[in-house]
Amino acid sequence: MKSTGNKPLPGKCLAVFKKISLYLDGELESQSCREIRKHMEECSRCKTCLTMLQRTLEICRHLTPHEVPEHVQKRLHQIVPS
Amino acid sequence: MSKKPPPRMIFDEDGAVIEAVRSGEKELFNRLISKYQRDLFNFGQRLCPEQRDAEEMVQDTFFTAYRYLNRFRFESKFRTWLYKIAGSVCTKKRKKTRGAREKEIPLQDFLKEEDIVGSKQPPAWISEPLEKLINRELSEQVRKAVTSLPEKYRLVLVLRDLEGFSTEETASLLHLRPETVKVRLHRGRFFLKEKLKGYYEEHRK
Repeated sequence: MKSTGNKPLPGKCLAVFKKISLYLDGELESQSCREIRKHMEECSRCKTCLTMLQRTLEICRHLTPHEVPEHVQKRLHQIVPS
Repeated sequence: MSKKPPPRMIFDEDGAVIEAVRSGEKELFNRLISKYQRDLFNFGQRLCPEQRDAEEMVQDTFFTAYRYLNRFRFESKFRTWLYKIAGSVCTKKRKKTRGAREKEIPLQDFLKEEDIVGSKQPPAWISEPLEKLINRELSEQVRKAVTSLPEKYRLVLVLRDLEGFSTEETASLLHLRPETVKVRLHRGRFFLKEKLKGYYEEHRK
């Protein structure tokens, strides 16, 4: 029966999905990394997922910081009694 | 029986300032405030949905750090110690105002094919140059998405991916096992990815 909505992930994709964060953080042993790289060459959906997650992390690491408002700076510098 | 080795002391450029403040040159604490106020303010904004809470968090953090500076043992960087105080200030504030209920994000939420990628075709936002994407509006979208995460995921995600702490440092800051940090980070990242995907789908219509 054809699914109309969300389909469960195939087994290999599921295994990759569970390890993808560790893979991005370089926290997997080399055998697992090789398996993931091999799977990425064969599965365009997982490759897109990996790239989206990578891009999400890049965005997180390059966000534009807010400057501290003047009134907050003023209050902070009142912490030390003069 | 072998004794535990003493912890490594970290005496970086802040060390001399901290020693001077402890010795009576109290106004030098303002140097530490000036140096870290932006980091802490942005950390507060990423943790607290309300701007006023973020401002109070920064203020309470520096106040606590100043008050208890004698308890700083140089066993971590001063910046790390400040984040530890800030995390605890934020958690206490939320428990006080909204109760301690925590929502779980089950991994199964992301286990459907369509939820993970949507389609085989990569969307444009993942291949555009980063400098073209990053702007004030996107930063605000990320902030909103992050502050909508349940706190236990939010703290881990913010410390690891926005503030740049390692898994071990994050675990130590939050008194968690590194494995717990990894699990929460994984779920938090997928949550955020989904939010960004939704934002770009809406934005590029």
